[in-house]
Amino acid sequence: MAITIKLFASLREALGEGEFQLELGALPPGEVVDGAIKVEAIKAVLSARGTHWSEALNQPNVVHALNLKVVYLDALVADGDELALFPPMTGG
Amino acid sequence: MSVSLQAEPIDIAAEYAVLVGEAPGAAVATFTGYVRDHAGENPVGVLELEHYPEMALTVLQSLGRQAAERFELINWRMVHRFGILPVSETIVWVGAVADHRGEAISACEFMMDTLKTDAPFWKREQGPEGARWVASRAQDGERRARWEQGGGT
Repeated sequence: MAITIKLFASLREALGEGEFQLELGALPPGEVVDGAIKVEAIKAVLSARGTHWSEALNQPNVVHALNLKVVYLDALVADGDELALFPPMTGG
Repeated sequence: MSVSLQAEPIDIAAEYAVLVGEAPGAAVATFTGYVRDHAGENPVGVLELEHYPEMALTVLQSLGRQAAERFELINWRMVHRFGILPVSETIVWVGAVADHRGEAISACEFMMDTLKTDAPFWKREQGPEGARWVASRAQDGERRARWEQGGGT
Protein backbone atom coordinates (compact mmCIF):
# COMPACT_ATOMS: atom_id res chain seq x y z
CA MET A 1 0.00 0.00 0.00
CA ALA A 2 1.05 3.60 -0.51
CA ILE A 3 -0.39 7.07 -0.92
CA THR A 4 -1.39 7.93 -4.49
CA ILE A 5 -0.53 11.46 -5.54
CA LYS A 6 -2.32 12.99 -8.53
CA LEU A 7 -1.46 16.29 -10.19
CA PHE A 8 -3.67 18.13 -12.66
CA ALA A 9 -3.58 20.97 -15.18
CA SER A 10 -0.76 23.50 -14.77
CA LEU A 11 0.76 21.54 -11.86
CA ARG A 12 0.87 18.32 -13.87
CA GLU A 13 2.38 20.21 -16.79
CA ALA A 14 4.98 22.05 -14.69
CA LEU A 15 6.10 18.90 -12.86
CA GLY A 16 5.88 16.46 -15.75
CA GLU A 17 3.98 13.85 -13.74
CA GLY A 18 0.30 13.16 -13.41
CA GLU A 19 0.24 10.31 -10.92
CA PHE A 20 2.72 8.51 -8.69
CA GLN A 21 2.92 6.62 -5.42
CA LEU A 22 4.52 7.69 -2.15
CA GLU A 23 5.46 4.91 0.27
CA LEU A 24 4.54 5.89 3.80
CA GLY A 25 7.70 4.13 5.00
CA ALA A 26 9.83 6.45 2.87
CA LEU A 27 8.43 9.61 4.48
CA PRO A 28 10.12 11.36 7.43
CA PRO A 29 9.28 9.19 10.49
CA GLY A 30 8.69 12.24 12.68
CA GLU A 31 5.87 13.37 10.38
CA VAL A 32 4.02 10.05 10.38
CA VAL A 33 1.82 9.70 13.45
CA ASP A 34 -0.37 6.63 13.91
CA GLY A 35 0.09 5.72 10.26
CA ALA A 36 -0.99 9.10 8.92
CA ILE A 37 0.75 12.24 7.69
CA LYS A 38 -0.58 15.77 7.19
CA VAL A 39 -1.11 17.17 3.70
CA GLU A 40 1.33 19.97 4.49
CA ALA A 41 4.06 17.45 5.38
CA ILE A 42 3.53 15.64 2.08
CA LYS A 43 3.84 18.97 0.29
CA ALA A 44 7.08 19.64 2.17
CA VAL A 45 8.48 16.24 1.16
CA LEU A 46 7.57 16.84 -2.50
CA SER A 47 8.90 20.42 -2.38
CA ALA A 48 12.29 19.04 -1.39
CA ARG A 49 12.51 17.38 -4.83
CA GLY A 50 13.71 20.67 -6.33
CA THR A 51 12.98 24.31 -7.01
CA HIS A 52 10.33 23.69 -9.63
CA TRP A 53 8.45 21.36 -7.28
CA SER A 54 8.71 23.86 -4.46
CA GLU A 55 7.54 26.76 -6.59
CA ALA A 56 4.67 24.87 -8.20
CA LEU A 57 3.31 23.31 -5.00
CA ASN A 58 3.61 26.38 -2.82
CA GLN A 59 1.63 28.77 -4.97
CA PRO A 60 -0.94 30.36 -2.67
CA ASN A 61 -4.01 28.97 -4.40
CA VAL A 62 -3.13 25.27 -4.79
CA VAL A 63 -6.16 23.09 -3.98
CA HIS A 64 -5.75 19.78 -2.07
CA ALA A 65 -8.32 17.01 -2.49
CA LEU A 66 -8.12 13.92 -0.29
CA ASN A 67 -10.13 10.95 -1.56
CA LEU A 68 -12.09 13.27 -3.90
CA LYS A 69 -12.90 15.95 -1.29
CA VAL A 70 -11.22 19.34 -0.89
CA VAL A 71 -9.35 19.53 2.42
CA TYR A 72 -7.12 21.91 4.38
CA LEU A 73 -3.38 21.47 4.89
CA ASP A 74 -3.86 19.82 8.26
CA ALA A 75 -5.91 16.91 6.88
CA LEU A 76 -4.41 13.49 7.64
CA VAL A 77 -3.42 11.18 4.80
CA ALA A 78 -3.06 7.43 5.38
CA ASP A 79 -1.98 4.39 3.42
CA GLY A 80 -4.28 3.73 0.48
CA ASP A 81 -5.49 7.34 0.29
CA GLU A 82 -5.46 9.43 -2.85
CA LEU A 83 -4.23 13.03 -2.57
CA ALA A 84 -4.72 15.31 -5.58
CA LEU A 85 -3.08 18.70 -5.97
CA PHE A 86 -4.28 21.19 -8.57
CA PRO A 87 -4.86 24.87 -9.38
CA PRO A 88 -8.26 26.54 -8.85
CA MET A 89 -10.95 24.96 -10.99
CA THR A 90 -12.13 26.65 -14.18
CA GLY A 91 -14.86 24.47 -15.65
CA GLY A 92 -18.33 25.39 -16.78
CA MET B 1 -31.42 13.33 -11.44
CA SER B 2 -28.15 12.43 -13.04
CA VAL B 3 -24.75 13.56 -14.27
CA SER B 4 -22.83 12.76 -17.45
CA LEU B 5 -19.20 13.48 -18.22
CA GLN B 6 -18.52 13.02 -21.90
CA ALA B 7 -16.10 13.79 -24.73
CA GLU B 8 -18.78 13.99 -27.41
CA PRO B 9 -20.95 17.07 -28.11
CA ILE B 10 -24.07 17.47 -25.98
CA ASP B 11 -27.33 16.53 -27.74
CA ILE B 12 -29.46 19.26 -26.20
CA ALA B 13 -32.77 18.10 -27.67
CA ALA B 14 -32.21 14.57 -26.36
CA GLU B 15 -31.12 15.86 -22.95
CA TYR B 16 -34.18 18.09 -22.71
CA ALA B 17 -36.49 15.20 -23.54
CA VAL B 18 -34.90 13.03 -20.85
CA LEU B 19 -35.03 15.86 -18.31
CA VAL B 20 -38.70 16.61 -18.86
CA GLY B 21 -39.76 12.98 -19.29
CA GLU B 22 -43.43 12.21 -19.18
CA ALA B 23 -44.30 14.51 -16.30
CA PRO B 24 -42.91 17.94 -17.13
CA GLY B 25 -43.99 19.71 -13.97
CA ALA B 26 -44.83 23.36 -14.35
CA ALA B 27 -41.44 24.96 -14.93
CA VAL B 28 -38.36 23.83 -16.87
CA ALA B 29 -35.15 25.88 -17.05
CA THR B 30 -31.89 24.99 -18.77
CA PHE B 31 -28.51 26.62 -19.31
CA THR B 32 -26.02 25.83 -22.09
CA GLY B 33 -22.39 27.02 -22.14
CA TYR B 34 -20.45 27.18 -25.43
CA VAL B 35 -16.79 27.64 -26.34
CA ARG B 36 -16.11 31.35 -26.98
CA ASP B 37 -13.99 32.44 -29.94
CA HIS B 38 -12.07 34.91 -27.82
CA ALA B 39 -10.60 35.43 -24.36
CA GLY B 40 -10.49 39.16 -23.76
CA GLU B 41 -8.54 40.55 -26.72
CA ASN B 42 -7.10 37.19 -27.74
CA PRO B 43 -8.68 34.90 -30.33
CA VAL B 44 -9.27 31.31 -29.25
CA GLY B 45 -9.26 28.45 -31.74
CA VAL B 46 -9.71 25.41 -29.53
CA LEU B 47 -10.44 24.82 -25.87
CA GLU B 48 -8.91 21.88 -24.01
CA LEU B 49 -10.76 20.70 -20.94
CA GLU B 50 -8.83 18.59 -18.47
CA HIS B 51 -10.72 16.93 -15.64
CA TYR B 52 -10.34 14.67 -12.62
CA PRO B 53 -12.97 12.11 -13.60
CA GLU B 54 -13.81 10.44 -10.29
CA MET B 55 -13.95 13.69 -8.33
CA ALA B 56 -15.81 15.59 -11.07
CA LEU B 57 -18.54 12.95 -11.01
CA THR B 58 -18.94 12.95 -7.23
CA VAL B 59 -18.89 16.76 -7.00
CA LEU B 60 -21.49 17.24 -9.73
CA GLN B 61 -23.74 14.57 -8.20
CA SER B 62 -23.47 16.30 -4.84
CA LEU B 63 -24.25 19.72 -6.32
CA GLY B 64 -27.25 18.31 -8.15
CA ARG B 65 -28.57 16.76 -4.95
CA GLN B 66 -28.04 20.05 -3.10
CA ALA B 67 -29.93 21.91 -5.84
CA ALA B 68 -32.77 19.38 -5.69
CA GLU B 69 -33.14 19.81 -1.94
CA ARG B 70 -32.73 23.56 -1.90
CA PHE B 71 -35.14 24.30 -4.76
CA GLU B 72 -37.49 21.33 -4.37
CA LEU B 73 -36.77 20.08 -7.86
CA ILE B 74 -38.82 17.43 -9.59
CA ASN B 75 -35.83 16.55 -11.78
CA TRP B 76 -32.36 17.81 -12.65
CA ARG B 77 -29.53 16.89 -14.99
CA MET B 78 -25.94 18.09 -15.48
CA VAL B 79 -23.75 17.28 -18.51
CA HIS B 80 -20.13 18.43 -18.74
CA ARG B 81 -17.67 17.75 -21.55
CA PHE B 82 -13.94 17.13 -21.46
CA GLY B 83 -11.22 16.85 -24.10
CA ILE B 84 -10.64 19.00 -27.17
CA LEU B 85 -13.53 21.39 -27.86
CA PRO B 86 -13.65 23.58 -31.00
CA VAL B 87 -15.12 27.10 -30.89
CA SER B 88 -18.94 27.26 -30.76
CA GLU B 89 -19.33 23.72 -29.42
CA THR B 90 -21.14 22.97 -26.19
CA ILE B 91 -19.15 22.74 -22.94
CA VAL B 92 -21.83 22.31 -20.31
CA TRP B 93 -25.57 21.86 -20.05
CA VAL B 94 -27.70 21.91 -16.91
CA GLY B 95 -31.45 21.58 -16.55
CA ALA B 96 -33.95 21.77 -13.70
CA VAL B 97 -37.66 20.95 -13.41
CA ALA B 98 -39.70 22.49 -10.60
CA ASP B 99 -43.21 23.58 -9.79
CA HIS B 100 -42.39 27.25 -10.30
CA ARG B 101 -40.08 29.24 -12.56
CA GLY B 102 -38.14 30.89 -9.73
CA GLU B 103 -36.94 27.57 -8.36
CA ALA B 104 -36.11 26.15 -11.80
CA ILE B 105 -34.13 29.23 -12.87
CA SER B 106 -32.37 29.58 -9.52
CA ALA B 107 -31.45 25.90 -9.53
CA CYS B 108 -29.71 26.28 -12.91
CA GLU B 109 -27.86 29.33 -11.62
CA PHE B 110 -26.87 27.50 -8.44
CA MET B 111 -25.61 24.47 -10.37
CA MET B 112 -23.55 26.64 -12.72
CA ASP B 113 -22.16 28.96 -10.02
CA THR B 114 -21.11 26.06 -7.83
CA LEU B 115 -19.72 23.77 -10.53
CA LYS B 116 -17.50 26.61 -11.82
CA THR B 117 -15.56 26.74 -8.55
CA ASP B 118 -16.11 23.27 -7.06
CA ALA B 119 -15.90 20.76 -9.92
CA PRO B 120 -12.38 19.72 -10.99
CA PHE B 121 -12.20 20.88 -14.60
CA TRP B 122 -9.47 23.09 -16.04
CA LYS B 123 -9.64 25.04 -19.28
CA ARG B 124 -6.67 25.58 -21.55
CA GLU B 125 -7.15 27.93 -24.48
CA GLN B 126 -5.26 27.47 -27.72
CA GLY B 127 -4.89 30.46 -30.02
CA PRO B 128 -2.46 31.83 -32.60
CA GLU B 129 -0.07 32.85 -29.83
CA GLY B 130 0.03 29.43 -28.21
CA ALA B 131 -1.81 27.77 -25.36
CA ARG B 132 -2.48 29.06 -21.86
CA TRP B 133 -4.30 27.77 -18.80
CA VAL B 134 -7.36 29.84 -17.96
CA ALA B 135 -7.09 31.58 -14.59
CA SER B 136 -9.97 31.44 -12.14
CA ARG B 137 -11.89 34.70 -11.90
CA ALA B 138 -12.68 36.55 -8.69
CA GLN B 139 -16.27 37.11 -9.78
CA ASP B 140 -16.79 33.34 -10.03
CA GLY B 141 -15.84 33.07 -6.37
CA GLU B 142 -18.16 35.94 -5.52
CA ARG B 143 -21.06 34.33 -7.35
CA ARG B 144 -20.33 31.08 -5.53
CA ALA B 145 -20.25 32.87 -2.16
CA ARG B 146 -23.76 34.27 -2.63
CA TRP B 147 -25.20 30.78 -2.24
CA GLU B 148 -23.36 30.25 1.05
CA GLN B 149 -25.06 33.30 2.47
CA GLY B 150 -28.43 31.88 1.59
CA GLY B 151 -28.85 34.46 -1.15
CA GLY B 152 -28.94 34.23 -4.90
CA THR B 153 -32.68 33.93 -5.20
